[in-house]
Amino acid sequence: MEGADKAEEFIPAGLASLGIEADEVDLAVMNAAHRMFWPAIRELLSLDTSEIEPERQPDLSKAPPQ
Amino acid sequence: MSALDLPLREQAAAVARGDVDPAELLDEALARIERRNPAINAVVETFPERSREMLAAAPDGPLRGVPLVIKDEWPLPWRAQRFGAAELLAPTTPGESGPYRALRNAGATIVGVANMHELGAGSTGNVSYYGPARNPWNTERCPGGSSSGPAAAVAARLVAGAVGADGLGSVRFPAAYCGLTGLKPTFGRSAMAGHHMADVTTLIVSGPLCADAADCRLLGSVLFGEELSAGEAAGLRIGVVRDTVSEDVAPEVREACEAAVEALRAEIGGEILDVSLADLEAATLAAILLVNGESLGGVTPERLNRMSPEVSPIARGFIKYRMLLPAAATVQASRVRTLMRRRLAVLFAEVDALAWPTVPAVAPPLTEPLVELPSGTHTADQANVRGAALANLTGIPSISVPVGLSSDELPIALQLSAAWGRDELLLDAAEALERANGRRWVESLPPLAQAEPEAAEA
Repeated sequence: MEGADKAEEFIPAGLASLGIEADEVDLAVMNAAHRMFWPAIRELLSLDTSEIEPERQPDLSKAPPQ
Repeated sequence: MSALDLPLREQAAAVARGDVDPAELLDEALARIERRNPAINAVVETFPERSREMLAAAPDGPLRGVPLVIKDEWPLPWRAQRFGAAELLAPTTPGESGPYRALRNAGATIVGVANMHELGAGSTGNVSYYGPARNPWNTERCPGGSSSGPAAAVAARLVAGAVGADGLGSVRFPAAYCGLTGLKPTFGRSAMAGHHMADVTTLIVSGPLCADAADCRLLGSVLFGEELSAGEAAGLRIGVVRDTVSEDVAPEVREACEAAVEALRAEIGGEILDVSLADLEAATLAAILLVNGESLGGVTPERLNRMSPEVSPIARGFIKYRMLLPAAATVQASRVRTLMRRRLAVLFAEVDALAWPTVPAVAPPLTEPLVELPSGTHTADQANVRGAALANLTGIPSISVPVGLSSDELPIALQLSAAWGRDELLLDAAEALERANGRRWVESLPPLAQAEPEAAEA
């Protein structure tokens, strides 16, 4: 996926914008994480959830109100 | 046989009857930790004087005089948790955590702190500040994580019960790999106070790891602060989701779990129903995003730049990567949570429990935690989380129950999940499953727990 291929741009740019330092090992781990997660994140972002009425302050100990 | 080899409930009963001296039981536990622990690195710290003080002050509770271990995720009055890491990004101090109070008030003796996967961020237990914990069934294999030490300690019968924590499967994975029963309670039912994320987490719970369901019921009752009464799981409607989590599993795991589901059905006169639950992959990612986001509270770029060089490279890189995840994905994850909670509420009107393998393959090697599945080779973390995360995302309870041994003598486990608040039903079902297979798997002992002749225990 295109987004995953751009890890070498996304990660250094993101780190620089936040002022987070990273060495080569950090970058290697982050690139691996990006390859693993980014395609799925893009899929998640593309899900149409506009019809889902938000559950306000969900009580996770109970079933959601129907 | 040492009293330490008795189930948790029988140790408690023997102490209550006066048949076992709890001071001797504590000494036996400490001695056994000294002998057996070097092979598995399950217990990272003991504190005999503190344990003896706990015992001396123990009230007449349901666990009076019984030694237990607690995961390095909970503070004790004399020790802050390290979370299996050289450095925790959240401030920690010694204190009375909820699980500590629950154990103390039940009369239990905390005999040690148990190892865990670094920062709770792994299903294998092969990475820790203290060095990896090892699986008593095969010390070259992963014990599971992140509650690696609690599981290894109970499997090796250092103690009969341990308190773990489960944010994405961290009680159930090690229970599965080590052949134990592990309960992930309904969110909010078990003691959480004092956890460094207690005020922000919507996924993590404390939970018991024991040899069988009856012991989990006892320790769970203590952690819940209410009795988890026993009942019958008669007529249980068992839903099997025909999806990746039940289909993309190692053949012998699949076979053992299918046999277990059928045995459970036959034992209780229940029925098996094929059910569908769409978007499980999205649910898994949603849980990962939410728990990762919640763990970043108070973390700043400056703080990350000062991180201890002793934090593992993997953890360091992942934490920094988390900082780059888009907020929109977390918002979307919350939507998916709502969606899955509503779908499960509908589904639990049709079935009482969902069943699928806790983990898709047996414990992988410590040095290379990869698993072979029909779809190919995966990291154990990737493969494991997809069967576990739904319970944390939605808040429902789940239990991992041992249901077999693989051809290379490693435990296989089935996971059962139920609707919110039906933790007791899961324990009932787990006990029914134990009856169905003649308690064969809950009474199987790993080589390490069989290693010592009785004379050596004296």
